[in-house]
Amino acid sequence: MGEFENKGQQNDDGGALLGEDAPVSRWSFVKYGAAAGLGALALAGAQPAHARTTTPTEEAEAPEPTDLATGAATGVAIDEAEDVEPTDEASDEAEDLEPTDEATDEAEAPDAELLESGREVLDVYINEGYLKMVDDSLVYFRGFGDRPTEKNDANPSLTIKPKVFLKDDTWVDSRVYPVGAPEPPRGTPTPLAPDPHNPGQYYVRRAHWGSFMPERVIVAETGSKITLRVHNRLAKEHEFAIHKAGDGGKDVSTGKIAPGKYGMLELKAPDPGVYIYSDPGNQPVERTLGLCGALVVMDPSDAWCLSPGAAEFERQWVWLCHAVDPVWANIEAKGGTVDPVRQKAVPRYFTLNGRSGYESMGMTRNEALNRASDEETTISGYPRQFDAREFAEGSAIGSLRGGQLVRIVNCGIVFHQMHFHGNHLWTVRCDNEDWGRTEGHVDENGYVCIQQWEDVIKVRGMEIKEAIIPIKRPPDAVDQVWDNRKTDWAYPMHCHSESSQTAAGGMYPGGLTSHWIIKAPLEGATS
Amino acid sequence: MMETLLPGRRLSFQERKAAEKKRKEAAAKKKRDQEARRKREAEAKKRAAEARKKREAEAKKRAAEAKRKADEAKKRREAEAKKRAEEAKRRREEDARRKQAAEEKRRREEEEASKPKPTPKPTETTKPTPVPTASATPTPTETPKPEPTETIDPEPIETSEPDPTETSEPTPTETAQPEPEPEPPVVEEEARHIFDSQVDFSSNQNEQDRPVTEYRMTPNISYQLDFYGTDLRFDDGAEVEMWSFETDDQRKCFPGPLVRPKEGQIFHANFSPSKGNHTIHWHGMEPDPRNDGVGHTSFEIAGDYTYQWQPEKGRPGVADYGTAGTYFYHCHVNTTLHVQMGMFGPLIIDPIEHEDFPVTPGARRAFVDGPEYDIDTEALLIPYSLDTRWHGMNHAAGLSGEDAGLNHFQPKHFYALGGELARRPSGKEKVWSMKSLRANVYKKGDTRKPTLLRLLNANYLPTMLRFQDKYGNPVAMAEVIAHDGRPYRDTHEKDGVSLPCREAGYPMMTSILASGSAERYDLLLFPPAAGEYQVVLDFKDWISDEVIGQRVIPLTAS
Ligand SMILES: [Cu+2]
Ligand SMILES: [Cu+2]
Repeated sequence: MGEFENKGQQNDDGGALLGEDAPVSRWSFVKYGAAAGLGALALAGAQPAHARTTTPTEEAEAPEPTDLATGAATGVAIDEAEDVEPTDEASDEAEDLEPTDEATDEAEAPDAELLESGREVLDVYINEGYLKMVDDSLVYFRGFGDRPTEKNDANPSLTIKPKVFLKDDTWVDSRVYPVGAPEPPRGTPTPLAPDPHNPGQYYVRRAHWGSFMPERVIVAETGSKITLRVHNRLAKEHEFAIHKAGDGGKDVSTGKIAPGKYGMLELKAPDPGVYIYSDPGNQPVERTLGLCGALVVMDPSDAWCLSPGAAEFERQWVWLCHAVDPVWANIEAKGGTVDPVRQKAVPRYFTLNGRSGYESMGMTRNEALNRASDEETTISGYPRQFDAREFAEGSAIGSLRGGQLVRIVNCGIVFHQMHFHGNHLWTVRCDNEDWGRTEGHVDENGYVCIQQWEDVIKVRGMEIKEAIIPIKRPPDAVDQVWDNRKTDWAYPMHCHSESSQTAAGGMYPGGLTSHWIIKAPLEGATS
Repeated sequence: MMETLLPGRRLSFQERKAAEKKRKEAAAKKKRDQEARRKREAEAKKRAAEARKKREAEAKKRAAEAKRKADEAKKRREAEAKKRAEEAKRRREEDARRKQAAEEKRRREEEEASKPKPTPKPTETTKPTPVPTASATPTPTETPKPEPTETIDPEPIETSEPDPTETSEPTPTETAQPEPEPEPPVVEEEARHIFDSQVDFSSNQNEQDRPVTEYRMTPNISYQLDFYGTDLRFDDGAEVEMWSFETDDQRKCFPGPLVRPKEGQIFHANFSPSKGNHTIHWHGMEPDPRNDGVGHTSFEIAGDYTYQWQPEKGRPGVADYGTAGTYFYHCHVNTTLHVQMGMFGPLIIDPIEHEDFPVTPGARRAFVDGPEYDIDTEALLIPYSLDTRWHGMNHAAGLSGEDAGLNHFQPKHFYALGGELARRPSGKEKVWSMKSLRANVYKKGDTRKPTLLRLLNANYLPTMLRFQDKYGNPVAMAEVIAHDGRPYRDTHEKDGVSLPCREAGYPMMTSILASGSAERYDLLLFPPAAGEYQVVLDFKDWISDEVIGQRVIPLTAS
């Protein structure tokens, strides 16, 4: 990789070069937006890792004051990592450590402590480190990781890779839930058979395909006991709380954990649903620095339903939204404490499952990164006849008239407006409260509470909305166009609070966005 | 209650449903039982297998993984050597290409920038824009849309074809020239492309000069939309550079002209941006990607393009069909900037008429089996706010990676745009601002129907809409009947009719309604008595939820 990397380091040829290399090394790194072996080099003092680029003819601008955040953060790390040599060897090494492919759950051999835990207790490490944003700049983060790492680690563990707590109270590493269910190829569930009544459409499989979970997700089956041992490896007090997961909807927490100590958290899996976990300290600063994720509770006897008797789905997608403020991050990286009232947050990056812009859309030169986006984020499926009244009922044995479940979890601080092109979504839940199919009403917050079609789904900070995407024929395409389609139809999904569509103040569409795909007709499967 | 509930009318419709329903319920129950049994058995078997598998899998997986990694590392090293050579070549070519593209772009922008700000649009000489001729264009060339054979849906009787008499619309051009059809199919773009970096992606969207409208049909309704930029004066005195859309009969007004087709019509809109790349995304309409107006899933338009789509027809009592409702259209290029600059306009889809749901003169239905409303007082309310720092930027601001500050929207001006749809002021260079609202006091049996208020949130921030009396007490006078172009229906009858909520017995009345960017709500107003009321718009911060701006619109009920 010599050529590109060296140039990248010298930053003399812009992000195109960085872009080539960085993603490869990024992948095994906890993919917040992205971290990279390059990150380590940059930290070691080679160059401010700020890719300002584009057309080679264009002059790189001097960083503006607002850029100081990342630049300075890098500077801090330089001091601490002085002995790391910014050499090619270093980067090669970093690279070799990494699996290039799908092996997210197996990136590292678990250390001894982990193996001895008997897999009844999940060790969680509060770490810090630097992650690469979609524009290749480095931002300081804290995170709940699943192995101990240092601040200057090229590959800091700032997220928990997907785990599943099973009914027998032990946990396993698994990106796929239900554990052992078939993995949908590249995230896309393939159908059961063509729908003979509706040419061009398919019967989809019922209770068959597994769902890929993104990092930061812990799945727990109802009936299981969740035990976490949370190690605070940082200099300040921290806490791990699962919000509204306790009796009467109270938070369940380790309580404050002193530096160098650990705290225990034990709870019986709550009702099926999604529960945000975070460090509630200095609200909302620690969460914004990255200390957050989601607990997804599933009933294993009804593993393709929201809960027994509730909406059934072909597969599910968990979408974690986040907003990143490098100025806040920089203050904390230098040992300061952000006052969120005086120092108002100005998020500069907006992520979906830790990725932004073209990374979230899986359009990079890094196949492994693209694959992860496809499996975890890019909703995709074959068109089917959808019936909003009762999509759990199959029209043929083993098939489903329903769609896929999208769980929009806003761990961040900004109000998002998730807009889907191509299909309206059928929203069924808000903050684990099922919306009914009858007796709707407008609540005291001005929300209309009834199952409904929406093309824009609003989720404020710490809110969770769950909706079914039908994956049906886009209703307003003319017949001939639909009948003659030969390729996948890709549509954007993006937040319509449009500031969230930027990265570093521009680069539209570089923020909280993704694609979703209606698959092309299967060869030889016409009816 | 309204006429729609008169027993004579509804019985025939209901009876047919009931018989159908009974039959289906029996069948569905049997199916459910079978399904449940099958599922229970499968589940039990699976659990047993899973427990065993789980233990073995962990160990096996690790071993396999190690081998796979080793193999892969080897393969990768080999592949990489090869790739590097190819990559270097590709890069050289791409750089050259990009350099040229950048050069061209810069030249275009320079040209644009050198023009005086309030650019009076050069008089269009060449565009043969047909004048709104009311010459009815019955277009039977259109192949009837074969409804998917829905086995369990009630099969409503379709009133034949959309009637082409567009009387109330000022803007649409009913073209009479039949177009050649269908055009030869174009090979569709690959759904996904690959980019070097975010900047590469942002600055290299697929630009096409004159993309072809695939399977072009003869339209039932068509529009010619153009881009304009000019300084406009708002009702608080602010003078701001705005960009938006214009038609022949609505020049340089903000927001863009109303686009109002009817369900089932073949819709065409020809758009020629003329300066810089733009698109039109028909927000909430769901056509194929080429007609969806998004650069990275189709193309950006440099020359011109004719968008084509056909809003799906509604069916009474069915939640899965129908598009009648409130929408908007907007540019989807550098959207953060372009929409804030004003590149949007209202889009309303009117329902088809169904024989079971006739319409009183002077009224219209909100959707096929929806309530009637009074055409004369129908109003559109568009919350919008302005961050003047964003006005005056280049079309492509931020796309090359420079920090344009577009992540930080700090509006200081807050507006209630819109007004009564029948009374949009004519003239050039006007901002359409809502000064006041009228609402009918409605009593059951009145021939004058209630007032419909369409809310279109074009703001980037969360917004609260409140109804109150002149003393500030909340008044629950608004019935929420539809959202994002879809009616609220009661869907609890698994195989039955999905009635609109009011007819299912629970009109969703409210004094407050939360909405965010791009959401639309249709509200039927029922002021309790004649008199003065207020409609309040609270503009909120997207992080703190604090109210940062407010508009109060007087509402007179009579
Ligand atoms: Cu969009
Ligand atoms: Cu939109």
